[in-house]
Amino acid sequence: MRRVVQFAAALSLTASAVMAGTVIDAVKVKSLDGLKCGAKVIKKNAKFYKVEVYPQTTLHMNDKKANEINKNAKAKVVEVAALTDGKQIAIITRWPDKSKDIFSGYKSDIYPDGYAVQFASDANDPAKLPYIGMGSDGRPVAIYLRKAYEIVYEPNGNGDVAHQVNPHNTNYFGKELKKFEKEVQKRGLKAYQKAFVSEGFRSMTEIKDNSVNYRTDMHYVDKKGMWGGMVIRPLSDEYAKPTKGEYAVAIAVWDGKELHRDGLKRLSSWVAVRLPGANNEALEKVVTEKVKGDVANGKKQFEANCASCHNDRNFRNAPLYMAPDLSNIGGQATAAYIKESILDPNAVVVPGYNRNAHPNFSWYTVDKNGHRTSTMPPFSFLDQKTIDDIVAYLQTQKAEVEK
Amino acid sequence: MSKRQLAMVMDLNKCIGCQTCTVACKTQWTNRNGREYMYWNNVETYPGTGYPKNWMELGGGFDAAGDLQPGIIPNIEADYGVPWDYNYDSLAEQNLLSDDPTPGIRPDQSPTWGPNWDEDQGAGNFPMDNYFFYLPRICNHCSNPGCLSACPRDAIFKREEDGVVLVDLDRCQGYRFCIAGCPYKKIYFNPKISKSEKCILCFPRIEQGLPPACAQSCVGRIRFVGFLDDEESQVYKLVHKYKVALPLRPDYGTQPNVYYVPPVDTPPKFDENGKVIEGSDRIPMEELEKLFGPAVHDAIKTIKAEREKRKKTGESELMDILIAYQHKDMFRLDHNYYAEVAKKKGMQPLPLVDERYVAGKYTKPSSISHFKVHA
Repeated sequence: MRRVVQFAAALSLTASAVMAGTVIDAVKVKSLDGLKCGAKVIKKNAKFYKVEVYPQTTLHMNDKKANEINKNAKAKVVEVAALTDGKQIAIITRWPDKSKDIFSGYKSDIYPDGYAVQFASDANDPAKLPYIGMGSDGRPVAIYLRKAYEIVYEPNGNGDVAHQVNPHNTNYFGKELKKFEKEVQKRGLKAYQKAFVSEGFRSMTEIKDNSVNYRTDMHYVDKKGMWGGMVIRPLSDEYAKPTKGEYAVAIAVWDGKELHRDGLKRLSSWVAVRLPGANNEALEKVVTEKVKGDVANGKKQFEANCASCHNDRNFRNAPLYMAPDLSNIGGQATAAYIKESILDPNAVVVPGYNRNAHPNFSWYTVDKNGHRTSTMPPFSFLDQKTIDDIVAYLQTQKAEVEK
Repeated sequence: MSKRQLAMVMDLNKCIGCQTCTVACKTQWTNRNGREYMYWNNVETYPGTGYPKNWMELGGGFDAAGDLQPGIIPNIEADYGVPWDYNYDSLAEQNLLSDDPTPGIRPDQSPTWGPNWDEDQGAGNFPMDNYFFYLPRICNHCSNPGCLSACPRDAIFKREEDGVVLVDLDRCQGYRFCIAGCPYKKIYFNPKISKSEKCILCFPRIEQGLPPACAQSCVGRIRFVGFLDDEESQVYKLVHKYKVALPLRPDYGTQPNVYYVPPVDTPPKFDENGKVIEGSDRIPMEELEKLFGPAVHDAIKTIKAEREKRKKTGESELMDILIAYQHKDMFRLDHNYYAEVAKKKGMQPLPLVDERYVAGKYTKPSSISHFKVHA
């Protein structure tokens, strides 16, 4: 027992000096080649920062059981570190999850744990970062996803039809049949990892043309009841580049036990990841900005101006499907984004539900070119103080953090 | 809404529950690769639990205001039933001379549930008022699909040319909201590829002049296939002209495109002494109304009236259609239309496999130069 304690203490001294904050310093290491979760390089060098991830509640999806389970979902704290070897960047995340949910076997209603890192394509205009929920029109993001699947097959079998038939439809028996099944097994994907580009919820598209270079890993530590996840990608590629040496990055984690998948997840706000020696004050300011305002007045103003369409934690009288639910906006959106959305709702129009699912509530109109115009009017007539108060109030709208 | 809608009519008066359709579908599409448990086509006993278990209570569909309703995703073991395999491998090793021989082919597990677990049980008390009928079900290829509306990835689409509802497996990420959204639970999760799959109305067959496997194999000839805007098609006549074919559970609000001719003239009930109660119906009208909506009363009236007319005059187009004399009249697949669509998309129209069912609104039978069936 004593040895275990000593070991744990040693661990916390080296790697686990956890710091709070939404600016993460990437640590320079010699090489990231072949890096895996739990590697010594990580233990020795990684500087972990606490990042809060909040339940995604913008939409109400239609899974009865999942809605029940997630009704009062709390936020979690994940720890994020970044490493770089000068050519690539690794985002390493660890988060508590008491249940290890790996998708395996012949099941229809279980879901795997998962992890994703979202990179804003660039941060040239930090006040106009992509919408945190998978980017927005003209503000793309690159998303790297890893899920805990034991094995999964490509639906088209990569064109290999011979190994897609039912084993009983083959001519094989005994040893030959086992050999055939082994061949089939080989064609499964061992790691469920995918890279996507996205310009807004619903538009997320998997990159399948081999134009993306990345690696992921995911690894559960039973003793601690924690997952570790890692994404390594080039410092710069056509999907995401640093701006003045910094990236805007967001972390999402899925908990299979809570029937998480898709938007049912926990998502951080934008976090700045700073390469060694870099300085992008503008971005850091945006991701750390807490608006000083009169929260009590903001609440009043929200009730008067917003609550007829938007639900949040205090006001829940708007129709359920009328507009984005703002219950966790304070945990996910930057102050700049909230301000922008109040003044110019057309800057980012959240696609929301399928237009057919709740036809009485259209969040936007679409013109011939597919351009969306929000049905929310601009609230630019409000004075600066009122807007600041509303933003300050909305920044308080977030779930309690799980202890 | 698609430009045209291909639809199917099933005449419940003639379904004998033989499952030939089920087998035709299964061997064609679902006997492999994670689809083993799925029945894109199934025939269940009504009243009964159905497939998956109690699907009518699992939510989905739309309310009167048009809002998609939350639903429940069924469990394979408990609700669908795990497809079991047999102990073929051990057959050669079985020692029939041992003291405790266990010969024979048996399932490799003890199943606790499966489709048709309650086959032919029905409701009521034998012999007084027991009853049941068979309800064959495929995807309804709805005009307002619950699955499509539930998908957060826009991975489900309704084909413009014929309204067939399909899953784009490249976009599907296996979230399964579609299963919750479909009130008929006719879209399934494939655990092997982690994506959703469903009945495709055998579109690859239709494009080559073959009716869906379930319809062509039906020994009772209960299934008609054609376009709803093709006034010559028997589907059109049953649905729109005579209004005797009705959608299943129209109250779910998805506007299904599979229509049913309700059971008519069920045998009378017996009283306690075993005597016939004249004028009684074994299948309660409330049950039929629950399944097919209030229009079922008129539909049954029409069928009865047409039958009387046939008895008296020997003439009735409706009775002729329901007798289902010829497959070539029952299936109108409008081949020229599909060929035109393919050409418009810059694709090569597929060669015909069978020329018997090519007729349609845009395909006149005279345009068929010869008759041939490829081997």
